[in-house]
Amino acid sequence: MNRMSENKYKGFEADRSKYPEMKDGKPVIDLESHKYTKIWQGPQHPGVTGNMALELIIDGDEVVDTKTRVGYLHRAFEKLMERRRYIQCFPIVCRICVPEPDTNEYCVSAAMEDLSGIVVPEKAQWLRTLNLEMSRVGSFLMWLGGQAGSIGMGAIGQWTVGMRDFWLDLFEEMTGGRVYHMYMIPGGVRKDLPDGFKDRARDLIIRTRKLLVNIENTFFNNIIVKSRLKGLGIITPEMVDEYGIVGPNARASGRECDIRINNPYVKYGELDIKMITSNGCDAYARAELRYQELLQSLDLVSQILDKIPEKGEIQAKLPNVLHWKIPAGQTYVKAESTRGEHGFYMVSDGSEFPRRVFARGASYTHAISLLEKLAVNISISDTAALMVSLHTCPPEIER
Amino acid sequence: MEQILNRIKDKIEIKISTKKRDDLYFFTVEKEQIEFILSYLKEQENFTHLAFMQAVDYLEDGKFQLTYMLYNYKIHINLGVNVLIDRKKAEMFSMHKLWPHIWQYQREIHELFGINFPGSPRVNESFVLEGWEEIPPMRRDFDTLEYSEKTFYQRPGRSTNDPKEYMKEKMYKNYADTPTIRREK
Amino acid sequence: MKLKDILSPLRVWERAAQKPWTIKDPINDRPGATNYRGFHKNDFNKCIGCGSCEEICQNAAIDLVPVEGQETKDGNSGLRPMIDYGRCCWCALCVDVCPTGSLTMSNKYTWVADMPEEYRFVPGKTETKWQESEKGYKRSEDIHLIDYERVEMLEIKPEKRDKSFIEIVKGYNKEQAMKEAERCLECGICIATCPAHMDIPAYIAAIREDDIENAFRILYETNPLPEICGRICTHKCETACALHNNGESLAIRWLKRYIADQIPSEKYKEVLGTEHLDDPKIGKSIAIIGAGPAGISAAYYLAIMGYKIKIFEALPDSGGMTRYGIPEYRLPYDQIDKDIEYIKSLGVEMQFNTRVGKDITLDKLHKDYDAVFAGTGLHLGRSTRIPGADNKRVYFATDLLREVSLGNEIDVAENIVVIGGGNVAMDITRTLARLQNKKYGKIQILTTSLESEDIMPADREEIVEAREEKAIIDPGWGPKEIEIQNGKIKGLHVVKCLSVFDEEGRFNPKFDDKQKKFFKADMVVESIGQGMDLSYLSEDIKSNLKFGPRGRIQVNENFQSNLKWLFVGGDIIQGPDVIHGVANGYIAAKAIDGFLNKNDKRRKK
Repeated sequence: MNRMSENKYKGFEADRSKYPEMKDGKPVIDLESHKYTKIWQGPQHPGVTGNMALELIIDGDEVVDTKTRVGYLHRAFEKLMERRRYIQCFPIVCRICVPEPDTNEYCVSAAMEDLSGIVVPEKAQWLRTLNLEMSRVGSFLMWLGGQAGSIGMGAIGQWTVGMRDFWLDLFEEMTGGRVYHMYMIPGGVRKDLPDGFKDRARDLIIRTRKLLVNIENTFFNNIIVKSRLKGLGIITPEMVDEYGIVGPNARASGRECDIRINNPYVKYGELDIKMITSNGCDAYARAELRYQELLQSLDLVSQILDKIPEKGEIQAKLPNVLHWKIPAGQTYVKAESTRGEHGFYMVSDGSEFPRRVFARGASYTHAISLLEKLAVNISISDTAALMVSLHTCPPEIER
Repeated sequence: MEQILNRIKDKIEIKISTKKRDDLYFFTVEKEQIEFILSYLKEQENFTHLAFMQAVDYLEDGKFQLTYMLYNYKIHINLGVNVLIDRKKAEMFSMHKLWPHIWQYQREIHELFGINFPGSPRVNESFVLEGWEEIPPMRRDFDTLEYSEKTFYQRPGRSTNDPKEYMKEKMYKNYADTPTIRREK
Repeated sequence: MKLKDILSPLRVWERAAQKPWTIKDPINDRPGATNYRGFHKNDFNKCIGCGSCEEICQNAAIDLVPVEGQETKDGNSGLRPMIDYGRCCWCALCVDVCPTGSLTMSNKYTWVADMPEEYRFVPGKTETKWQESEKGYKRSEDIHLIDYERVEMLEIKPEKRDKSFIEIVKGYNKEQAMKEAERCLECGICIATCPAHMDIPAYIAAIREDDIENAFRILYETNPLPEICGRICTHKCETACALHNNGESLAIRWLKRYIADQIPSEKYKEVLGTEHLDDPKIGKSIAIIGAGPAGISAAYYLAIMGYKIKIFEALPDSGGMTRYGIPEYRLPYDQIDKDIEYIKSLGVEMQFNTRVGKDITLDKLHKDYDAVFAGTGLHLGRSTRIPGADNKRVYFATDLLREVSLGNEIDVAENIVVIGGGNVAMDITRTLARLQNKKYGKIQILTTSLESEDIMPADREEIVEAREEKAIIDPGWGPKEIEIQNGKIKGLHVVKCLSVFDEEGRFNPKFDDKQKKFFKADMVVESIGQGMDLSYLSEDIKSNLKFGPRGRIQVNENFQSNLKWLFVGGDIIQGPDVIHGVANGYIAAKAIDGFLNKNDKRRKK
């Protein structure tokens, strides 16, 4: 099992002598030869992250070729938005990512504000920062359970998803919704914090940290986890640009690419935040990096809670949203989600409806180009772990 | 960034150049220059990260606008390169030699906008629309409402009233219509 | 391989001893948060059925349906939102946009029903267990999806205006008008309230699109006096405006004025497409008595339908009360001319200084014309009939306003008391204040009314502006006696008025005789209402005409009297205000057309 742990890049430069020959970058596979088996992992499979399918060609239990198939939850959000007024877009976009909807909300609101020149009030900016960072915590918790689950440690999945529910309780109090928060409306946010929210949030941070100690003991200091994840899915630093890799996946390969630090948005510029990188390049390094970022996010949440001003406006004045016209122009707004660069490219033609909205999700490259590359040569039992270690999220691929 | 823009302007003619934010610039180039400018930006000016590539349909003008969004990790600036191409002859050079992962954007645009990228790997594979028979759906002339009414069954029993019409019906039904002006024929 | 990596995972058992996090009975033990976006609630007492919720719903989950017991009336369509929970995405945009604040959400999120149709219901009507629930999402006061504040109208400052008769209100410029037009919700509730049923949302939408010519055409569909109405309309529509429930209503009147102001007189015909009107081949002619709003309106619509029109007016110029009853600072004469000159240019004849009943008889009009429309208005003042009211220094407001408009000198006294609380009282107060200021350099005018300040019939802004111009308004007093010494007025004795109307809503003022006041004055103006002058009717016609309550001529819904050829409208039937006159004239014009065509057919047979 720990076949690749000694040589970091061995998996990438593997011996392909027994595998199908390559022609124009594509393996020539003759299924009639009965040498290979074609199986589908997903779209309904506990080992895939959402409704996505891997079309695997296997030789024994080793994957020789793979293709990512999406299209199972294509709702054409981008096209739907072209038929909606600007204000009507904001309830749609949160559905582009279930575990972390707020990044979408932020990006689409910020893009509209950027195009129409609306300045968001101070307090609303802070509330947005809090919301974004809390959603990162929630998403990381869910991912952590997924990563553990993908290699058979179901218990951790129970713990983290259970803990995530307490974070959802906080979201419920703050925004009125547990999963789809629909909190960041263009111009600001919809509600101020309820009474006693900060105390409950601080309390929850302590509880989460306590759980994370447990997880560190059982998951990261675990011989089985190490042997399965180390050496799996190696992303070399050169691949980062080649494949457009972003977020923790790129940071675990040594690339300093945190948007919160490089291009600070909302109030990240006023927070004490450090770039976390690692040179491990493999799935274990990515897991550890995400774990560090989760701890960092908890720290940021408490920093934000200390800094939110008590008083202040929470929304800038909008024109009547039923006839809101945005001046013609184009913009690209991005934010750091737990998966990396998440951005919205919005083009306005001066009418009441957007001309084009494009949601750029980090998984677009991670789950297709990169996954198809990395999955070759690994054991079929590792595909789920690999997929989760790239933190793929199908809805942001097909949008 | 201004220096970079000046250097580019020395090399080619840029039609429109806008600064959207401190960290976001856009400019428009000709279709023929795109290969040169993108490789120049990537190799010489460190715009190594391609965030995305997308298309916008300008149906009225008969154009597609393609946008390549680049990012420079050294100076932390996003640069959008726009190209307008003819809608009737929707074809663009494939950039997969510069960024291998661009093939999937090109495949998506090929499927959803019907823009062809000769030479791009797997460009004819279906992305999200298996067995699609209509025109490429992200084009502006594709009517989603008409399509959904044609394709899906609506649960019956819904009807709505316009307050304006309803109040007329209830309150001043007999109010005379505007007289037509009798003009000379 | 480290030993720690083997032993450490065993600590997974630590958690086995801990208390579980799960909740036993989540539905009862854990209600939704105070802010939860659950099933909708709707307060029918507040809801006006404007449909903004339907408009903003991005899932098309809301329908407006009639609900039993909800009446369709001014400012309330009687429709209520029905929500299809198969489509609702719980975004609560409908709650945020609701201009009345009637629509909210409860914190209930669990509900099971057998039939899918049951998930489609009208919150507030259908019995639900969450209708009374206190908790749930409500629009935060701090966020606004619609603009509740009016674009401020610039006015000339009181110090600058209180000596002259220049127009106070400056009117919107393009930027202001576009911004104000943007506030419109396009619900259309105002249309029913406007007596002329003007398509308000349509012309406001045209302003937003900056298509003023189209907006202008929409105005002329039902109202040929936009310059006049854009300035002094009683704007009932603004009271019905959905925004009025939670903020300032849309400035519909000022927007109308903005449209009319943008079109120069010489372009009227071109814009309205009346350059080449068909020569009246119908060969029918109609006489109109009175060149006031009702008469002019009827004349316009009859003219564009191809009739020959002649208007007979007793006064030396057109406009009726708009010219002779409304001071110039509110409605400049050139704006009246702008509206009326256009109508004249369509071939409408006007004969001034001709009083029907004196200079020409109604019988002759009946003989010479196919039909007659009378819009003679209310020009006679009403007296309080208190002791001393017969003094020669006691005037009627309407008479004085007419004199001012005619350009005649008025003998303004140093101390004036005005009795009355309506817009006419404000008009005369502010007119006399200006004249006083010109003559004496100071203002000593006091206006008193029966009605207390909160129920004064005058427009709020009129009262405020009058006070800005240093007139004293002291409402809530009933006039008792005008004290006269040696034929000269000393002042007015008043007693406190406790209430004006009795329980049944009839006029029946109650006074407290102990609370008294004395207003010093050398001149008193009465402005407590106007009466009609029916002297144009000959005895013969009068005896044949049917009269309704309060001496009004009885007309059918088409303003036709029981003498088929005689149509009556305007202030003498409805109102009094300009827009009712316009509406009456419009309907009468259509009815006259119908009446004459019907006669046609009969003759042909």
